[in-house]
Amino acid sequence: MRRLRYRHLLTALPLLLLAPLAGCGDDEEPRAAMTVRVLVRDINIRPEGVECAGTGPYTYFHNRAAYRVVDGDGATLAEGELPAGKSVRTFEEDLEVPRIPTFCEFAVPVSVAERDAYRLIVDDRRPIPLTRDDSEGPALVAVVPS
Amino acid sequence: MRRRRLAAVVGIAALVALVAAGCTGDGADPEPTPVAGGAAVLPGPVPADLALRPAPTDLPAAPKVTGTLTDGSPLATAELWADRPVVLTFFSSWCNTCVERQDGLSELARSHRDRVVFVGVAGEDEPDALQEYLRQHRVEYPVLVDADQRVARAYAVREPPAVVLVAKGGTLLRGWPGGVDAATLDSMLRKLVLAP
Repeated sequence: MRRLRYRHLLTALPLLLLAPLAGCGDDEEPRAAMTVRVLVRDINIRPEGVECAGTGPYTYFHNRAAYRVVDGDGATLAEGELPAGKSVRTFEEDLEVPRIPTFCEFAVPVSVAERDAYRLIVDDRRPIPLTRDDSEGPALVAVVPS
Repeated sequence: MRRRRLAAVVGIAALVALVAAGCTGDGADPEPTPVAGGAAVLPGPVPADLALRPAPTDLPAAPKVTGTLTDGSPLATAELWADRPVVLTFFSSWCNTCVERQDGLSELARSHRDRVVFVGVAGEDEPDALQEYLRQHRVEYPVLVDADQRVARAYAVREPPAVVLVAKGGTLLRGWPGGVDAATLDSMLRKLVLAP
């Protein structure tokens, strides 16, 4: 009787050993390095190329703001804190003044698994759809307001 | 025998007293750390020898704002500029430019203590991060918590950093969107408000 019980244990042992490995397999889903780029079109007067944060309705876009990249089902693929934004000119015309109308652009390096859809959530606000754009290297991009 | 029993009772009583003293914390607990940026750092009396330049008459009045300091105390800016110049510094703990300039501004505020009042205005911030910032950069002046950006909007400040200089009496002298370093601000204080 006792020998029979041990035989059951021996049968189950490979499964017990494999269980944690199956868990590891999920973590080892292939991931691709890319950049999440968000252009916050807040039209604020700043010098070009300086650190910035979102203004007006977008003040929650700022250095150290919590972000998540989620897939279409809402599963988190990457998370962290935003870096500071960088001001970019709204149009090419040279106004010959140091402070010009600018947007604030954020670029966040992430490593994410392949999915059909990606969305960005900043500060637990409404998800922002991200679009794949590899024209300047692998990237997921968004413009707010879209 | 009786003496030995008495000694044991006294010993136990002393032990109980010691434990009780530890529990009540009489004299053992450290003083609570005051909240940085609160009412404790409001300015003292105006120095008798404070000499100021007259404010221009053709400039607008600064918006009078009221708000709450980091410790919950109320503050009305107009009460401060009733008897001396005021510098409003708009900042956030996550703002790198603010961090780079804060030590210089803190030192400048100390050097003009009671003569020119610095008031920080913290927007879009977290209380713990804000306190850490204020302690780390030795901010020893009052700080308004501008959670709803009401003060920032009153001064058309859209993002930190920004600095505003208000003359005694409330004339809006100068604003620096994007902020200003301590050396420039010091020279402007001497040029615009402090008489030589």
